[in-house]
Amino acid sequence: MAETMTATTPPPVKLGQKVPEFDVETFEPSKGDFGTFRLRDQIANKRWTLLFFYPADFTFV
Amino acid sequence: MGCDIVTCSTDTKFTHLAWQRSEKELANVKYTMAADPTGKLSRMFGVYNEDNGLDLRGSFLIDPEGKLMGSEMNFYNLGRNIEEQLRKFKANIYMAKKGGNEVCPSKWKDEGDKTLVNPGAKMVGRVHEALQGS
Repeated sequence: MAETMTATTPPPVKLGQKVPEFDVETFEPSKGDFGTFRLRDQIANKRWTLLFFYPADFTFV
Repeated sequence: MGCDIVTCSTDTKFTHLAWQRSEKELANVKYTMAADPTGKLSRMFGVYNEDNGLDLRGSFLIDPEGKLMGSEMNFYNLGRNIEEQLRKFKANIYMAKKGGNEVCPSKWKDEGDKTLVNPGAKMVGRVHEALQGS
């Protein structure tokens, strides 16, 4: 537990700033297939994004 | 205006698939499950814990122009309240629609609730009166 109490660095992306472009590999449960999520697609499609980080699969979220 | 939910951990996409298929609580999920095994995306948002390679519980709302509009981070031992996430998301959509001169106070829950318009010098020391609508 002691090592998990270490403070982490503050968010590099600041509120009100543009988030740097990113691509990330995904699993899409609705399609049962793998895919790629791209921030630029969200901007092109005028969609909001809620990015929800959690520690690990197979645990409570 | 629509919003897409993207969950992310440092597990691989293969683990996401296996978890979603085996955990009955996840049988009906529609959201995208992003895999960040290198921690690259997680570091961008400051949620990556270098000590154990796991992400902290962080939520980030990005607007349709790619701007970061909301951030919330909890340590491992505290879950997030979905009602509050939804409240903040609704408030952001509402303010984006109204365009800049209207703000949502802490008690704002949904469209129709009291907002503050043009907060400025006149409102300094008079927030109570402004919230009462006088």
